[in-house]
Amino acid sequence: MRQNILKVWYLLLGCFLALVFYLSYLQVGWGPALAAHQRNPRLAEYEAKIKRGTIYDAKGVVLAETGFAGDKRIYPRGADFAQVVGFVSGRYGRTGLESAYDRYLLGKDDLGKFKNTFDRLLGKEQTGNDLVLTLDADLQKAAFAMLDGYRGAVVVLDPRSGAVRVLASAPAFDPNRLDDNWPRLLENEAKPLLNRAVQGAYPPGSTFKLVTAAGALVNLPGVAERTFNCPGYLAVEGYKLNDTAVHGEVYFEEALAVSCNTTFAALGLELGTADFYQTARSFGLGKEPPLELAVRTSTLALPGRLKGTELAGSAIGQGEVLVTPLQMALATAGIANRGIIMRPYLVEKVRSASGELLQQAAPQPWLTATTPPAAGVIREGMKAAVQYGTARAAAVPGVAVAGKTGSAQNPHGKTHAWFVGFAPAEEPQLVVAVVLENAGAGGAVAAPLAAGLLKRALGVR
Amino acid sequence: MVHLLRRQERYLLLIAGGYLLTGAVILYPDISAVNALIAGLTGLSVLTAFLLVSVFWQASCYYGDGFLLPVTAVLVATGLIFLFRLDPAAGLRQLVWLAAGLAALVLTTRLLADMRFLSDYKYIYALAGAVFLILPIFFGVERGGSRSWLDFGIFQLQPSEFVKILVILFLAGFLAENRAILAVGSKSLGFLALPGPQEWGPLLAMWGVSLILLIFQNDLGTALIYYGAFLAMIYVATARFFYVLSGAGLFLGGALASYFLFEHVRMRIEVWLNPWRFLDTAGYQVTQSLFALGSGGMAGAGLGQGYPGFIPAVHTDFIFAAVGEEMGLLGGIGIILLFVSFVFLGIRIALRARDDFAALLAAGLTSLLGLQAFVIIGGVTRLLPLTGVTLPFISYGGSSLVANFILLGLLLNVSHEAGKKI
Repeated sequence: MRQNILKVWYLLLGCFLALVFYLSYLQVGWGPALAAHQRNPRLAEYEAKIKRGTIYDAKGVVLAETGFAGDKRIYPRGADFAQVVGFVSGRYGRTGLESAYDRYLLGKDDLGKFKNTFDRLLGKEQTGNDLVLTLDADLQKAAFAMLDGYRGAVVVLDPRSGAVRVLASAPAFDPNRLDDNWPRLLENEAKPLLNRAVQGAYPPGSTFKLVTAAGALVNLPGVAERTFNCPGYLAVEGYKLNDTAVHGEVYFEEALAVSCNTTFAALGLELGTADFYQTARSFGLGKEPPLELAVRTSTLALPGRLKGTELAGSAIGQGEVLVTPLQMALATAGIANRGIIMRPYLVEKVRSASGELLQQAAPQPWLTATTPPAAGVIREGMKAAVQYGTARAAAVPGVAVAGKTGSAQNPHGKTHAWFVGFAPAEEPQLVVAVVLENAGAGGAVAAPLAAGLLKRALGVR
Repeated sequence: MVHLLRRQERYLLLIAGGYLLTGAVILYPDISAVNALIAGLTGLSVLTAFLLVSVFWQASCYYGDGFLLPVTAVLVATGLIFLFRLDPAAGLRQLVWLAAGLAALVLTTRLLADMRFLSDYKYIYALAGAVFLILPIFFGVERGGSRSWLDFGIFQLQPSEFVKILVILFLAGFLAENRAILAVGSKSLGFLALPGPQEWGPLLAMWGVSLILLIFQNDLGTALIYYGAFLAMIYVATARFFYVLSGAGLFLGGALASYFLFEHVRMRIEVWLNPWRFLDTAGYQVTQSLFALGSGGMAGAGLGQGYPGFIPAVHTDFIFAAVGEEMGLLGGIGIILLFVSFVFLGIRIALRARDDFAALLAAGLTSLLGLQAFVIIGGVTRLLPLTGVTLPFISYGGSSLVANFILLGLLLNVSHEAGKKI
């Protein structure tokens, strides 16, 4: 019977050990997410006791602040950062970075909890931590001014580091006046609460030819030297895919510059399902970009259906391809940064109220999208597009801009106007992605907007 | 000899007392001065009461294990600290129950110290247990969804808390008498030896008792604990895994059937699998508990600094979530280790017992308490589906506290019998 009793002991001990392991995971591994869960009623209680941290842009402009513990949160830049910084409200919840960084802003990180316990005992004010973002308040404001009247989004980021400079989504709303506007915000069919830059799903149109081009350059040897004949249409499985024009004999770079659908649809078919799909994935489709905010994963048809007309359509950014503006910015950054896509990020540092640095963003690669030679060829094509092709309106005096336009067909009316590009073309500092819903041709509306923004960002008079 | 044992026990009790007083002091800034005074005096009188028990045992030459009472005292102290923090009125009521519990402990160790005669009345326990279990079905009142309470005006009693001890006493007596035949089997089915219906009978009866609890009282947790302890005891008695397997199979069958038959059982399982879907309804309690534990993190918010008040029934079934929020993972693991120590000491007593009945009794009581702690901590943390039982010695609840002190007394009696002859 001794043996049996010992076995019962081992069983009970095993049960309690399992409990210890599970509890450790629950409280330490999963704990922070639970503590900052937007339905956790503690957040409102902390809010009342702790002076929530301030959020700054990259140059020290205040984007969100709280006077004293329990006061209303103030957003000095109003609608400019409505979706990306988000808001905190006892009644309407918590969104954007305010929600994602709740734990730090409320000083509930391990160090902050420790410090605040002492502050409480000493009767001092308890403070949260401050955030310094990578965003540029002036550039963001300029982007919003240009988006006025449109539905759409603008993303600007630094391809060398992944630091996001502008993340604008229009229409926006004033986070200081939620009480007055809330029902209208919910009913508004333009969905101002939606952050289109990271959550909007659009067909990319011709901007997706960058991805197709990269796939062709890597997988089809000699393609950069070939010429293509464009009769103005392409016959695929008995269907006729019409092009926007008869481009005649075109070189590879030229095909990119004039955005020849026939050439790229044919290249997509030549690449085949496996290589095309693989290329799209290496540019980040089907993967959630590791941003601090929730990003909609960009998608395309699964390999099983990615054949014939679907493959030809996907190669020119139609078909079932759906991307976020951030995703297109990242794909473009891959070209600009010689094939390497850096992890995008919004928070440069977290520091305590007394100025100690708690967290510093460290740029790191996310994906290897393509090879440096392929990126070089595509860059030449994008430069040509701005010099004499479809993206001429994106030209900035004195700076070489590389760009690609898109006019994506969609079931809601006029085409979505797209532009993606970077500048300066040889030493890229900024990548821009612009989408304007149902605004017409990319070269006519999106490209000039991008030019204006680049001009301002690069300090060109 | 006995004075050395009891002196060591009192030394350990002093440490438990220090723990209790520290808790009272830390609570001081957050409650009024009057309450603080009450808390301080309470701490001292509780410590004195425990010390007096030890002194009484020394005077009566009682050789019961010297570590169990201190371990229990720390658990009780944790319960008192958290009850005063969560609901001072409940804390005061718990004090009265603690006095009753310590009295029950003294009486158990005094009157039942010579426990040899206990095994003679096993069928009386079975009958009494059955009556106590059936009473609430007809005369009971419903609380927290379970119809397992008897109302006596000034206080309410949960008979199933006491019946659990009767069940263990009965099983210990029955199995000690029949273990040989159960182990060998009286009928043979080819290569497999099976016992006859006389031996199967009690197994089925236990299954029936658990189902009564499950179906008529809607008390899933208690049913699970009874049944688990029963399986542990039958394994200890016979070493036949076959019983455990078929018993577990029967229970799973019953649980599966009730999943399809009863809406409330189905709801519980669904809430367990995905509580977030039911955040505002049936899953509210467990998601609030997860929020509390998650907000506690490694070191906890600090005593009195968390918000366990968001959790319904936090002072009874969910008290572990409050401990986890305010004392953190470290505090939670501490509580678990105390239960592990309790179980370890109980198993050690079972191993040193002088005969089968005593060994089975100790093993059964220990498994019962260990399983109860495991089931409720597992439920509160969503490791297991939630079943409403108390956390032994910590949760608010008179029946539970008094019954667990009787359990402790019986366990000590087994070790007293083994110890006094050496």
